[in-house]
Amino acid sequence: MKFLSKIGLAAALVAGSMTAANAFTACQVTDVGGIDDAGFNQTAWKGVEDAKAAMGIEGRFLESQAETDYAANLNSLNDGSCDIIVTVGFLMGDATKAAAEANPNQKYSIVDFAYDPTIPNVLGQVFATDQAAFLAGYLAAGMSKSGVVGTFGGLNIPPVTAFMDGFVYGVNHYNSQHGTSVSVLGWDPAAKEGLFTNNFESLDDGRAFAQNLYDEGADIVMPVAGPVGLGSAALASELGADALKIIGVDADQVATDPDHEAIYLTSVLKRMDSTVGAAIAAAADGTFAGGLTVGTLENDGVGLAPFHAFEDAVPAELKAELDAVRAGIIDGSIKVGM
Amino acid sequence: MDVELRGVTKRFGPVVANDKVNLVIRGGEVLGLLGENGAGKSTMMNILSGLYSPDEGEILIDGKPVQFEGPGDGIAAGIGMVHQHFMLVPVFTVAENVVLGVEPTGKFDYLDLKRARAQVRAINDQYGLEVPPDELIEDLPVGIQQRVEILKVLFRKADVLILDEPTAVLTPQEVQDFFGIVRALRDAGKAIVFITHKLHEILEVADRINVLRQGRIVGEGDPKQLNEEQLAEMMVGRPVTFAVSKSPAQPGEDRLTLTGVSMISDRGETALDNVTMTVRSGEVVGIAGVQGNGQTELVEVITGLTRPGRGKVKFDGQDITRASVRARHMAGMAHIPEDRHKSGMVDNFTIAENMVLNSYYDSEFSGPLSIDWPKVHETAARYCVEFDVRTPSVFLRGGSLSGGNQQKMVVARELERQTRLVIASQPTRGVDVGAIEYIHERLIRARDEGDGVLIVSSELDEIMGLSDRILVMFEGRIVAEFDNTGGKADRNAIGLAMAGATTGAMA
Amino acid sequence: MSLSNQDLQKALLRPLGRGRQEFEDLVVVPLIAVVIALLFGMVVMLATGVDIGTIGRAFVALAKGAFGSLNAVSETLTAAIPVVLAGLGLGLGFRAGLFNIGAEGQILMGGLAAVIFGFSFDHLPFAILMPLTLIVAMLVGAAYAAIAGALRALTGAHEVISTIMLNLISYRILDYALRQPFVQKEGRSDPISKSVPDAAQLPKLLDWIDPNLRLHAGLFLMLAMVLFVWWLLFRSKIGFAFRASGENPDAAKYAGMPSGLIIVLAMATAGGLAGLAGGAQVLGVLERASPGFSAGLGFDAIAVALLGRSHPVGILFAGILFGGLEAGGRQMQVDAGVSIDLIGIIQALIVVFIAAPLLVRAIFPWGFRKDGKGAAE
Repeated sequence: MKFLSKIGLAAALVAGSMTAANAFTACQVTDVGGIDDAGFNQTAWKGVEDAKAAMGIEGRFLESQAETDYAANLNSLNDGSCDIIVTVGFLMGDATKAAAEANPNQKYSIVDFAYDPTIPNVLGQVFATDQAAFLAGYLAAGMSKSGVVGTFGGLNIPPVTAFMDGFVYGVNHYNSQHGTSVSVLGWDPAAKEGLFTNNFESLDDGRAFAQNLYDEGADIVMPVAGPVGLGSAALASELGADALKIIGVDADQVATDPDHEAIYLTSVLKRMDSTVGAAIAAAADGTFAGGLTVGTLENDGVGLAPFHAFEDAVPAELKAELDAVRAGIIDGSIKVGM
Repeated sequence: MDVELRGVTKRFGPVVANDKVNLVIRGGEVLGLLGENGAGKSTMMNILSGLYSPDEGEILIDGKPVQFEGPGDGIAAGIGMVHQHFMLVPVFTVAENVVLGVEPTGKFDYLDLKRARAQVRAINDQYGLEVPPDELIEDLPVGIQQRVEILKVLFRKADVLILDEPTAVLTPQEVQDFFGIVRALRDAGKAIVFITHKLHEILEVADRINVLRQGRIVGEGDPKQLNEEQLAEMMVGRPVTFAVSKSPAQPGEDRLTLTGVSMISDRGETALDNVTMTVRSGEVVGIAGVQGNGQTELVEVITGLTRPGRGKVKFDGQDITRASVRARHMAGMAHIPEDRHKSGMVDNFTIAENMVLNSYYDSEFSGPLSIDWPKVHETAARYCVEFDVRTPSVFLRGGSLSGGNQQKMVVARELERQTRLVIASQPTRGVDVGAIEYIHERLIRARDEGDGVLIVSSELDEIMGLSDRILVMFEGRIVAEFDNTGGKADRNAIGLAMAGATTGAMA
Repeated sequence: MSLSNQDLQKALLRPLGRGRQEFEDLVVVPLIAVVIALLFGMVVMLATGVDIGTIGRAFVALAKGAFGSLNAVSETLTAAIPVVLAGLGLGLGFRAGLFNIGAEGQILMGGLAAVIFGFSFDHLPFAILMPLTLIVAMLVGAAYAAIAGALRALTGAHEVISTIMLNLISYRILDYALRQPFVQKEGRSDPISKSVPDAAQLPKLLDWIDPNLRLHAGLFLMLAMVLFVWWLLFRSKIGFAFRASGENPDAAKYAGMPSGLIIVLAMATAGGLAGLAGGAQVLGVLERASPGFSAGLGFDAIAVALLGRSHPVGILFAGILFGGLEAGGRQMQVDAGVSIDLIGIIQALIVVFIAAPLLVRAIFPWGFRKDGKGAAE
C-alpha cells in the first residue's frame, strides 16, 4: 500500500509538472447522464477532445451523478489548474453563476444557458435548435405513413422543449403546405405541456415512452432526453424501421450509436462541439469575452444530419423542399413559430 | 458397547470445566449424571460427541483409545446426543427429519423417502416409540418431538445415547412414558447417559449415579442406597433442606379476585373458561395442572399482558381488568415470568439494566427525562448481594450469567420492591438446587410480610411444598381446590384432578 | 454482616475494562474493512485496465481530496453533515429493532417542508426564521416516518416494506409540489422550487477565508445531535425503552413498556433526524429543492449507521469517512481520470465487509485475539 502510493506520488508529481508545462487546461463538468451518453454530454466533450487534438491542450472532466453534485464538482475544480471551465447543461445555470461570481478571474462557459444580464467571465452557449427541429418535423411529416408522429422530453426545460417546439411547428408547416393533417403526439407548444420522463438516465423509460407513442399510432418518434433515447432506438430496432423510426438529437446518432443505424431517420444536430471548441480557442488565444453565442442554421451551430440508411427512401422532392425551408428560415421568410 | 473417559481435563482459559474426570458408560445400563448448572456436564458431553477435544486424558471405546476430531466423529463411533433444545425442521415430516443429512438416495441423488419411512417404522416398532412417520413436526406435542430426536440418533446406529435434561420440557405423564422408553432402550442393550438436576427422576430411572461438581466427579453410587438429601448434598457441597420451612398461613383481606374470567386464545380455542378465584394477603396459592391447560393465559390475564374476553380482575378491590402492565406493576404486582430468556430479561443488557427493566421510570431511579445510572448501579449491586447473584460485576451482560443466577436476578428485581401481590410462574425452572432453596425461601418471606402469592408450576413437588391452598386447572377451568395447610393435601387426588377426573373434590 | 455486604457491593461496582472483543468490533473490524475495500478498489481498477501509476495517483488524490487541504476538509465535512444526521436516526431505529429504509423519503419531505416554510416566511429575521425552518424540517420528517411506525404498531405492516413504499410516494409528492405555482421558481417550467431566503440559510462558516468553502453551520447541528442521540439512547428513560424493545420485544412488553407507542416514537425520532438532514442540506448547501435532491443520502446513511455500529460516535466517524470518500472521489476523477463509480464500489465493499465481521476475521486472522470456544457450559 505504502509502497504503491509512493510510486503514485512520484507519478503524480511528474504528471503534475507536465501539466504545468503544457499550461492550458480545459475542464468540463458534465450533467447527469454521463460523459458517454451518445448525445448531449458526449458531444460537448467532443469539443474538448477536438481542441486537445488541434491545439495540444489538456482536458479533464468531472461527471455529475445528481443535481446536488453541480456545486461540489465546480468547487473541486477551483484549485486554479483549469484555464476554462465548461459546464454542460441548463440545470447547472445557478451553480455556474454562483461559482463565476465567487471566482471572477476564472473563465467559464456554459452550454444551454443564457444569463440576463450577462456575466463578464461566463460565455453562454445557446442554440436555435427549434430551427433544426423544424426541418426534422417537416421531414417526419413527409415520411410518416400513419399520419401520426411523436416526441417526448427529459425535463420540461427550455433547451429540451425548443426541440419539441420546432418539431411541432415543422409538422404544422408541412400540413399547411400539403393540405395534410399529420398530427404530433407528446407536446403542445401553446400549453407548454407534454410527455416527459423526468430524467436523463433511464433507458427503460425511453423504451416505455416510445412504446406508448407507437401504440397510439406514431411511426416516427423524436426523443429529447439524452441517453433515454437509446432505449427508444432499441425498441425501434426490434419493431423494424417500417414500424417505427427514431429521430436523434444533439449528435448524429448514427455515429454515436451505430448499432441502431438502420432506424435513425436523421438527427437534429446541436453543434455543441463546435461552440465548446470555439470557447476554448478564444480562452487560449486571449480573445475570450463573456456574453452569449447562439448557434443557428445560418452559422451551422444547428442542423440536420444526413439520412444515412434512408438516403434513398427520402423522396427527391422532399429533399428539395427541405432545402427550400432551410433557406427560408435563414432569410426569415419562414417563421419558426405558431 | 462401553465407553470410558480416563483422566479427562478441559480448560477454557483459566476456567477448568472438566478436571481429571473418570467416567464409565456400559451397555445395558442407565447412567445418571447429576450436577448443578455450570458443574461441567455439558462440556463432558461435548467431549463425548467430538465437539471439543480434551486437553488431557483419553476416551476409550470398548477398551481402545479413540481420537475425536470433530462433531461428526462421536456419532460415527456410535455415540448420539439428544439435546435439550430440539434440532428439528418444523415443516418437515418425522421421516424427513430423521433422515436429514443421511438421506437414503437412489440413482441421480433421488431421495428415497419410501425407504426412509420403512426404516423409521422399523426402529419405531423395535423400541415401542410410537411416532407417526408422516406427521409434520409442528403438529406433534413436545413429548413426541423428543422421541423423534431419539429416533434420529438410533437411525444413525448409536449404541450410546446421551440425553441432556430430557424431562425439562415434559409433563408428568410424558415423563413416565419417557422413562418407559429409556428402560426399553436399556433392555435392548443400549448405554444411556441421563443428565439432569432433578433428583427424584434420577433415583427412579438410573442404574448407577455419578455426581459432578465444579468439573470433578465427587460421588458415585447406587440409587437404591441413596436418597434425595444425600444426592443434593453431593451436588451442592453442603446440606440442603427440601422441606420449605414455613409457619401456617395467616390469610388476610382479598388481594386478587377473578370473577368469571373467560378467554379465547389466538388459535380460537377456549383458553380460560369461567375462572373464579381469590388470592388473599398472607397466603400462597398454587396452581397445579399439566402444562397447556390455561395456566399461561391465566397469568397473562392477571398481569395485564392480554385482556380477558369476559369477566373481571380485581386487585386490592380495584377493577384492573383493563389496566396496563405498568399500572399493575406500580400498584405493587410482581411478576416472575415463566420463560426468563424469552420474556424476563434482555440478554444483551447489563445486569444493572436488567435489574431495573420494569422500574427504571420510577422516581427512585430517574428524573423527568433521564435515568440516574449511579443510583441504578448501586441498587443492582445491593440486589445482587441480597439474592446471591454470582457475578464479578453488575456491568456484565445478563446473558453471560448461568441459568440459576439469571433467575435469581429476575426474582431479585421482582421481589426487592414494595410488593403486595407476587405472581410467580415456574419460578425455579432450569434452576439448580441451591438457588431453588433460596427462591422458595424468598417467596415464603413475601407471604409472611403480607403479600398474596400465586405460584404456577408444572412441578407438583414445588406446588405441594410452597402452597397453602392448591387449585387444579384442567382445560381452562379450575376443577378442584385443596387445602394444603401443613402439607396435608392428597397428592393422588391432585394428580387425578390434573388428569381431568371429574371426581375432584371441591373442598 | 452488613459491613461485608457493603464491601461486596462495592466490588460489584468496579468498572469493567472495555472488552477487547468490543474494541475489535468497534474499531479494528471497520478499519480493516476500509483497508480491504480500498485494496479491492485497486483490483477493480487494475481489472479495468488502469495502470499502476494512475492507481497510485488516484489514491493520493483520494486522500488529498478528502483531507489534504482546507477546502478538502470543508467538502468532507459538508458531505458528512446530512449522512451523519440521517444515520443517527437510522442507528437509533436499529437499536429499537426497526429497520427503517425510509430515510430517503424523510429527507425529501423534511427538506421540501424547510424550503416551502423558508420562502413563505421570508420576512422573519434570521434568528427566528432559521431555527424555525429547521424545526419544521424535523417535524415533517418525524411525521412522515411516524406513518410507517403507526402502520407497524397498529396493523403489523413491516416497516421495511412501508418505508420503501413511502420513499416512492415521497418522490412523487416532491415532483408534484415542485410544479405548484407557489413552490415553483418564477419563470421556470421545469420542476424546481423557489430559493430559500438568506435569513433561513445555515450560515457559511468559512466564507471569510474563501467564498468557495461551503462548510456551513449544520456542522454544529450535527455535533449537537450526536450528543443528543447518545444521551437519548444511553441516559434517557425513553432510550432505555427503545433499546429494550430492540433487544427483546417480549421482555419489554412484560416489563410494561408500551410497544406500539415505542415503535411510533422511535420511528418519529429517526424521521425527525432524517428531516433535519434534509433541512440542513437545503438550508446549507442546495438553497432550493429539485427532483430527487436527496441524491441517495438516505441510503448512504444506512451504510453509515451500520458502519458506525448504531453508536452515535461511530456514526459520526463513519459519516466523516463517507464524506471524505465523496470529496476525495471527485479529486480522484479530476487528477487521475478514474471514474467516480469506483467510489461507489469502494463504499459498497466497505459495507459488505462491515456486515460480515467474520469474513474480515477470516481474511485477516492476525490482529484478533484467538477465540476460545465459549465459556464452560
